[in-house]
Amino acid sequence: MNTGEQNKPCAEIASLLVFYVCDEVNEQERAAIEQHLANCAACQSQLSEEREFQTAIVSLVRADEQADPSGILLARCRSELAEKLDDLKRPPTKEKVPAFAWLRRWMALHPAWSAATLVLFGLVGGVQSTQWLTGRSDAIALDQTVNVRPGPRITEDQLSKMAVAGVNFTPSPYSGSQNVRVQLSAQQPVELTGSLDDSDVRRVLTYVVENGDRFDSGVRLDCLDALKARAEDAEVRVALLAAARKDQNPAVRLKALEALRDASADGGVRQALLEALQHDSNPGVRVEAVNLLVRSLETAQSDSLAPLQPPQAPQMTGGPMVQASGGGSDVDGSIENVVRAFDELRRNDPSRYVRLRSAAALREISARNDQ
Amino acid sequence: MSLPRWALAFADESGHTSNSDSALATVTSLASLDDRLLVEQAQAGNRPAFEELVRRYDRDVLRLALNLMKRTEDARDVYQEAFLKVYRNLHRFRFECSFYTWLYRIVTNVCLDHLRRRQARPEDQAPDLHSGQFEDGGTDFFECQREKRATLDPEQHLLGLEIKSRLAAAMERLSPRERIVFEMKHYQGLKLRAIGDALGTSEETVKNSLFRATRKLRNELGILR
Repeated sequence: MNTGEQNKPCAEIASLLVFYVCDEVNEQERAAIEQHLANCAACQSQLSEEREFQTAIVSLVRADEQADPSGILLARCRSELAEKLDDLKRPPTKEKVPAFAWLRRWMALHPAWSAATLVLFGLVGGVQSTQWLTGRSDAIALDQTVNVRPGPRITEDQLSKMAVAGVNFTPSPYSGSQNVRVQLSAQQPVELTGSLDDSDVRRVLTYVVENGDRFDSGVRLDCLDALKARAEDAEVRVALLAAARKDQNPAVRLKALEALRDASADGGVRQALLEALQHDSNPGVRVEAVNLLVRSLETAQSDSLAPLQPPQAPQMTGGPMVQASGGGSDVDGSIENVVRAFDELRRNDPSRYVRLRSAAALREISARNDQ
Repeated sequence: MSLPRWALAFADESGHTSNSDSALATVTSLASLDDRLLVEQAQAGNRPAFEELVRRYDRDVLRLALNLMKRTEDARDVYQEAFLKVYRNLHRFRFECSFYTWLYRIVTNVCLDHLRRRQARPEDQAPDLHSGQFEDGGTDFFECQREKRATLDPEQHLLGLEIKSRLAAAMERLSPRERIVFEMKHYQGLKLRAIGDALGTSEETVKNSLFRATRKLRNELGILR
């Protein structure tokens, strides 16, 4: 009975008696209960019932006492466990603390903060990396771009039937080099876009250059423009040489020679230049051939410690004698043949400009040999 | 120091020694180690250290399993499943609590799983308390209770039987969590805080479970009064 003098009402005390009998109350609760019990008969009665109940449950014979009084079941369990452990091949050993375990734990506990942090990192990282990549792309040399070259997708048959509608250049966003877009009209219109590292693009361009009679000269010139950046490539060089020798259009032949400028020291290229000197009908092409041959001789001289020694001294009017020597390594494109061809041009070329340019070239060669 | 036969048998089976004296020495030295050192050795792959840990606590584990599951077959399953889980996951134990608490967390989870599965299968409910037979040749413990007291005053005996029978039946109707809390508090002698640790919950939640369990059981007994 609650007399009104107790600190807590009976209902509250009654709910604590369950824990009071099994010693699960704190000191404050204990004091309140005992103070209440001293003056409340009803709660004293309930406490007695709780204790009776406690006695009853404790007096129950337990399953374990009946099922395994002698410990046989325990021994059997141990034996079974040992067998199962034997079956486990390798006991797992203590795993190392994974890297950034604290961060993972923190992120697991703070999902909202983690998401916000990740978004922030993404934003900052994105902005910074864009700036970094922009700065870096300026520094990357054109030929440093590494591309995986896929196998050819255009067949020879398609090549032989194709017509090129247009060749366009677009700057590559990555390396600063140009991307080439080639619009083809074969059985179906095809548009190829890619850098010169793309094997299909290169095949189409070289095919156009090598088979000039089938394509418009403007297209051929565009293709040469595109290919000149890859003159060191063997496949491209063959196409450029073919164009320089065979193309009907002198502008195309001239462009092909220009594209070979950096490869003029090559024996095959020098031979093509000599042929152009001697046989090309266009004086502009012949002058370009002279220029490139002079350049090729400069390159050969700077590459070699020995000075160029022309093989023989053609009789030159108003010019220094050019001494001949066997310095060239190529039979056809050797220094002797170059000097001889220049001399021939100087005397017999129908174009006055070609004759003057050849004479000047011979003087340049002679002056370098005198140094 | 006299050791039980199974202790020596374990040492022999482990393959670390075939001599019973040295086996005895191994077991004795392991027995003197505290839990932490044993756990560390077991984590490093030392099988005898793990077996020593098992021997320290498996009696309590089996007792809990038997009293909760009431059937030796289920209790054996709980024992095996619990200790295999301990074995497989020991490398993850980081001493953030005592090994005992960690072990009981695993054991109570396994028990809860079994009790819930049993609840979900009506055909596999609690054993028939009046079947008279316990598995493995043992008789049902409530039946044993009756026989044990048969020579006492018949009236008291009958009342006592009825109370115990009702109590046991009421325990079967408790929720798995209430049963575990009641069992661990009254029959394993654990404090509510430790039970909370084992169940991965707060002391207050455990207190509520114990209170509900006690009320349900007392209501069953109240009918008889």
